[in-house]
Amino acid sequence: MFAAFAQGSLIRLIPVGMVMLALQRTVFVDIKVAGVTVQVVLALAAAAGASGGSERGAVAGFVLGAMFDLVEGTPLGSTAIAFTIAGAVAGLLAVITAEPQWWLKALFVGLGCAAGEALLPVVRVFIGEESPWPANMLKVILVVGLAGALMSPVLVPLSRWCLKIRGPAWTAPVEQQPI
Amino acid sequence: MAIYTVGRRRVIIALLLTGALLLTLDLRGNSVLDTVRDGFSRAMAPVEQATDVVTTPVQRAWSSFSNYDDLERENQALRDEIDRQRGTQAAAEASIIDYQLLLALNNLPSLSGIETAKAQVVGGATNNIDQIVEINKGSDSGISIGMPVVNQAGLIGKITQVNATTSKVMLISDPRYSIPVEILGGTGDRDEGREPTNTTPSGKTEEELDEIISQSIADAEAAGTAETADDPAGTTDSGASGGIDGLTPADMFEDDVALPQAGDPNEATTTTTTTMPEAISADNELPTLTDAEGSPIEPSSSTTTTTLLLNPDQLEKEYGVLRGRGQGRPPQVRFLQDIPSLAVLQVGDLIETAGGSRSLAPPNIPVGRVINRADRPGVAGPLLEIELNADLDKLNFVRVVLFQPLTEVVE
Repeated sequence: MFAAFAQGSLIRLIPVGMVMLALQRTVFVDIKVAGVTVQVVLALAAAAGASGGSERGAVAGFVLGAMFDLVEGTPLGSTAIAFTIAGAVAGLLAVITAEPQWWLKALFVGLGCAAGEALLPVVRVFIGEESPWPANMLKVILVVGLAGALMSPVLVPLSRWCLKIRGPAWTAPVEQQPI
Repeated sequence: MAIYTVGRRRVIIALLLTGALLLTLDLRGNSVLDTVRDGFSRAMAPVEQATDVVTTPVQRAWSSFSNYDDLERENQALRDEIDRQRGTQAAAEASIIDYQLLLALNNLPSLSGIETAKAQVVGGATNNIDQIVEINKGSDSGISIGMPVVNQAGLIGKITQVNATTSKVMLISDPRYSIPVEILGGTGDRDEGREPTNTTPSGKTEEELDEIISQSIADAEAAGTAETADDPAGTTDSGASGGIDGLTPADMFEDDVALPQAGDPNEATTTTTTTMPEAISADNELPTLTDAEGSPIEPSSSTTTTTLLLNPDQLEKEYGVLRGRGQGRPPQVRFLQDIPSLAVLQVGDLIETAGGSRSLAPPNIPVGRVINRADRPGVAGPLLEIELNADLDKLNFVRVVLFQPLTEVVE
């Protein structure tokens, strides 16, 4: 079990996630775009989905979301569910193409971020919170999605390293002997 | 590259169900999860400190870039506000002291007897839903869950999570925050309906004084008997400042600074300041002034007395529950009974904490003022929107009131 953990992707994802959480709680608290807090941890989860597919994105989103809940004191699982969906949505990119362009990855990272941010208050409603919607929900979703797309050129390679994702290895077709 | 298949969909569903399970366990209270949470927070602390040190230049650069103009405007506005408030602060402090003496005389509890812990906000809200900030004091400083947190302007929130050296403060604007408050009905029309009464020792109005001064200056110039005054403005300094000279931001957080508290609004507030008539410039001479009856008038020591006297009969308290509504929305007060014979609630009315044996905050902490009133049909009572005294977007130094309600005090 320990060997599986050590050789798995979590061994890299957890420390990187901790650094991202620290960045979220220090720098990105101050750096607000149009009054909206940019979600860098959510963007990392979406980037993991865009680079590794829905399954890996969902796993990365779940782990990062659970870490977020643990350190923020929010109900454990509330952010994890939203981030899981974010990673899975960004991973839908794999359905379109096997080797996407950078701008296509950025687009899907943005979509994943927007989906995750939109789901956060929905989950809160399900656990009984009264009116968890921000006053400017549409603006929040747009800014978080746009910021995630802009950060994707940095976060996608980082998530590939975290999840130990290798690029597709093209092999030459085997030459057939003439009959 | 991964492909979206049924098998992979199962993984996602399993993760979502796990999330729901964790959510259920956490909401019902689970000591294991609490221990994990505490341990993870401790593990994150050094990472956060290191990140904070490394990224401080970035934060400052961004802050300089984005806030410079706002800070400059705010600085000017604050200087104006300080000038206005200096005159009234001395009188307000005197009123509060009188109020506390009166409470002590009657063996009534007051905020001055409650200890506080000074803290600094070290982290803001990290998402766009929760209105929670982090402060750098925790259980080591005697802080526990539920204690109210204030700054110089008034109530800002309550403690919701405590670690050894840090705590989380849920702000008033958070949708989960609620607290019993009292509304001082009848304080709202203070500025609108009542004009301050200005008097001078001679009983003349300022306009009459200006005319007399102008006439006297003209007479003096004509006669050529006026004497030069080196510093006519200096004669007004004795009382013009009136307030607290040399007050620095550091003084605001000295240990002996009292908690913000609302005095008894039924008391009359009297402010005495000395003003200099504008007709006399620094270069002009000060002639001997006389009124129509020949009585001497000394404009340099003319006294303006501003008296705001509220009728105690019009001040009635109404009780309700204040509730936050999230970012960008003013908090609301509900569960009110608007009975005209008791209290008429209106825009501008003061709001402060109500206290009580079950309330997490002691009484008389100022909260804000009513900015909007919405009447509801039936017996629901009116709904009040309030503007908070404290600016929750710019919190720095705060005080945790080490208060526990009687129902939670351990014998």
